[in-house]
Amino acid sequence: MVIVDKINALKLKIFKPNPNKQSLAPGRLPCRRYTRTKFGDFVMFVMLAAAGLFTMLPLIYAVATSFKPLDELLIFPPRFLVRRPTLNNYLVLPDLMAALKVPLSRYIFNGVSNAIVTTSVYIVVSSMAAYVLCKGNFKHKGAIFMIVQFSLMFNSITLGIPRYLIYSYLGMIDTYWVYILPHMAATLGVFLMKQYIEGYVPDAFIEAAKIDGAGTFRIFWTIVMPIVKPAWLTLTLFTFRDVWSEIPSGTIFTEQLKTLPQIMGQITAGGAARAGSAMATTVIMMIPPIIVYLISQSNVIEAMSSAGIKE
Amino acid sequence: MKKVKKNRGIEELKSSYGRMFVLPWFIGVILFFLVPFIETVIFSFSSIKINVGEISTTFVGLENYDYILNQDPNYTKYLSGAMTTFLYSLPIIIFLSLFLALLLNQKFAGRLLFRAIYFAPVIIATGEVIKLLFGLDASSGATMGVSESLTSNMIDANDITSLLGLSGEIGEFFTRTIGRIFDLVWNCGIQIVLFIAGLQSVPRHLYEVSKVEGATKWEEFWFITFPMLGRVTLLVSMFTMIELIVAERGNKIVSNALTSMNSGIYDRTSAELFFYFMVSCLFIGVFIFLYNRFLLKRWE
Repeated sequence: MVIVDKINALKLKIFKPNPNKQSLAPGRLPCRRYTRTKFGDFVMFVMLAAAGLFTMLPLIYAVATSFKPLDELLIFPPRFLVRRPTLNNYLVLPDLMAALKVPLSRYIFNGVSNAIVTTSVYIVVSSMAAYVLCKGNFKHKGAIFMIVQFSLMFNSITLGIPRYLIYSYLGMIDTYWVYILPHMAATLGVFLMKQYIEGYVPDAFIEAAKIDGAGTFRIFWTIVMPIVKPAWLTLTLFTFRDVWSEIPSGTIFTEQLKTLPQIMGQITAGGAARAGSAMATTVIMMIPPIIVYLISQSNVIEAMSSAGIKE
Repeated sequence: MKKVKKNRGIEELKSSYGRMFVLPWFIGVILFFLVPFIETVIFSFSSIKINVGEISTTFVGLENYDYILNQDPNYTKYLSGAMTTFLYSLPIIIFLSLFLALLLNQKFAGRLLFRAIYFAPVIIATGEVIKLLFGLDASSGATMGVSESLTSNMIDANDITSLLGLSGEIGEFFTRTIGRIFDLVWNCGIQIVLFIAGLQSVPRHLYEVSKVEGATKWEEFWFITFPMLGRVTLLVSMFTMIELIVAERGNKIVSNALTSMNSGIYDRTSAELFFYFMVSCLFIGVFIFLYNRFLLKRWE
């Protein structure tokens, strides 16, 4: 009944009751359907399908375009679907790169290996920090968490120049380190992991493990990490996606160290005739994140959800 | 840690371990966030000269800010443009994703498929892919962005506005929204997931009580669902705001700063970006304050 009172109080606060409103005739109960009608179902489905269509259209268009032969690419206005599909756009990609003297597979390999290494470093570093920021007990904990929240709002582009100076000071320019090290400042990771650890790892678990003689690292690795698996799988997906499509501008010059997104610009610069190949590269770019998603899929939604409930 | 204290108990041990655990991350933050951040602020208050192999800065006070706000013809225009985009995108994204979450939260066949569809952009859409799909790099080639070519083919926004007889600002708002429709829908992925989670955490018995009391679905939404989602809505709004602020796409300030950075104008660019950041922080702060003051307080 407390709840009912609360609801009524809310009603009164938000909308003042209308005294002119006709009350129901005594003895007659309001009759109302609480299940949806067939028509309601239909309307709902149409709305969802319409919004879903808007979501999927660019993707379908990209895939379709990547299979279009040259003459279909140049039709104006562009046709949505492909009439005579061809693999040509994919097959010419290695030739387009021939001028660069580095095979296409090298770019893909660079991208994937970078993404894997960076993501692993990111996850370990950020969850260790998050664990301690959450369960640990030391000075300036609050201040550090303030930094985390503050930096969430910051676009990394803003810091481009000073960062470049630091890279060059550390001798990171034109090495693989440029891809990996900046992600050690993993504020989104720390934020998400902290929310999750706070909500799901009871102090009692950690105390029990400590009494049984487990060290801090062991507690972290064998107790905390398995419990928060959904959280770090989600992070893995996000980080992988970001690293995979990242372009560290002006810091990589050696062709052998470049990744796929960096050479995409070169392909798109070819103009309309290369539009098909550009789309083909886009489709190739989409594949690795999808694979990572399929692996981590069921856990991801769960973790995103829980991060929302906790404050 | 070098000081030897009298009581080196288990708490102390935990504390030193704690520092070791935070250390790698903290070094990263200092090197790649705090130091660059402070340097950006310093840059924005000084004039920079680039000589071979070194950069010299001299303090000039508020000169850069004076320039960008009073003399630069574009900056204030871009800033107000970015803020209007921010202000109208926020409610659209939030209400659209809340609406879709409400629909997706019902039980019907194919629900999982739809959820996957709405989540797809979150997985795929970053960086280069998005640039190509939405035609940010329109200058680099004759390829039109997918979004533009699709919307211009399917819907001509100007036709609709003139058909409905919408005038002036409302019509413009309408046109702009339609032009960015893919952008807006693609921004809803994470928000929808967060809202669905929030909806599922609303206790069932509240709905039962309201049903017994004879509330309509409409009242049920405004008096139960929406207030109960208070915290989730706040989180979603913050997330959306941050996403909108740091977005490169359709944000003249950030894209403009990139170009001027490439041409070597560091001092003014730093000032531009820092000012933009402060303004956005102000917006977020005001929003959170108003939300807490007028909505959350009332609901809790």
